[in-house]
Amino acid sequence: MLDSLQASLSVASSGLEAQSTRMRIVSENLANANATGRAAGADPYQRKTVTFDAAMDHAAGAQLVKVKEVGVDRTPFRVEYDPGHPAADKAGYVKLPNVNMIIEMADMREVNRSYEANLQVVKQVRSMLGMTVDLLRS
Amino acid sequence: MGPLYLFELASSQARWLELRQSTVASNVANANTPGFKARDVEPFNKVLDGTPVRLAMTSPAHMKLSAAETDTRATAKKDSWEVVHSGNSVSLEQEMVKGGDIGRDYSMNAAIVRSFHRMLLSGAKT
Amino acid sequence: MLDAISSTAISAGPALARSTGMEMTAPAAGAAQSGGDAGFDSVLKQVTTDAIGTLKAGEAASISGIQGKESTRRVVEALMSAEQTLQSAVAVRDKVVQAYQEVVRMSI
Repeated sequence: MLDSLQASLSVASSGLEAQSTRMRIVSENLANANATGRAAGADPYQRKTVTFDAAMDHAAGAQLVKVKEVGVDRTPFRVEYDPGHPAADKAGYVKLPNVNMIIEMADMREVNRSYEANLQVVKQVRSMLGMTVDLLRS
Repeated sequence: MGPLYLFELASSQARWLELRQSTVASNVANANTPGFKARDVEPFNKVLDGTPVRLAMTSPAHMKLSAAETDTRATAKKDSWEVVHSGNSVSLEQEMVKGGDIGRDYSMNAAIVRSFHRMLLSGAKT
Repeated sequence: MLDAISSTAISAGPALARSTGMEMTAPAAGAAQSGGDAGFDSVLKQVTTDAIGTLKAGEAASISGIQGKESTRRVVEALMSAEQTLQSAVAVRDKVVQAYQEVVRMSI
């Protein structure tokens, strides 16, 4: 482990990147919350999920975070009776995405919180580096 | 124990603070990683006491703190402010508080070192 | 660059001390020889060697820092040591030069 402060910066930036990816996925889910299929009886938009994993950065000597996978939510689709809908099946039922707006909004708030926290780490490390260099200034 | 001892001690503390900052950074980055347990380093006092200080007593006026090879290990945290069913034990609030402590300690450390450095320089002026 | 600093600022000191010191301690050579280790000349030589070593370490740390191989704090600490050592070495040199000038001004 050469420089702990540099390590902190790369760890924090990995956190920022991970949360950005998560935010993108949450946005996608929100945007497609009502996106049904095109053909009759077709499947609608399926909710996406993000899983993180800790990774050891040997150069930095600290654990950063990586996106392990972007998966799909296997929760069954909602079903509504709407015979006039283009995606309605023979019985007149339309399958709707398994996206819950409340959950996505809560996720979004959490992403913001985590992003802010990582940003705070970056600010702190920069301040510490500034203090170190200031030692030489008269 | 001349004035240089202070610089050695400050250097050790700075190293410890930097290490602690990197564990905080890891905790914050992995705040949403399932199964991740928050970590922290041992307190600085313990580090100073615990390290087998091999005093290089070559000269009575020269005492080197062998904590320059500080053996600070990140230890698993036993008491956390929150436990979630995903197994993640990171509390962002706790980490932010730790970050504040680190920042203040580092600021004090830098101020002391800077002040002493200036004093040494002005003391040697002709 | 370091050699330039060393030669002008530091080495002048011991060189002067040696030339003046030898002449001044010649009469008391017998007594001085036994306490040779504590002699002014050797003390000055020690200070100079330490100073040059610290300055070289500062230069090496700076180069490593620029190449990204050394952490910021270590570079700053090395530079501070170099600054302190250079300051005291320059102070010593100035005193030696001052003393030499006084000796030269002495009427025979």
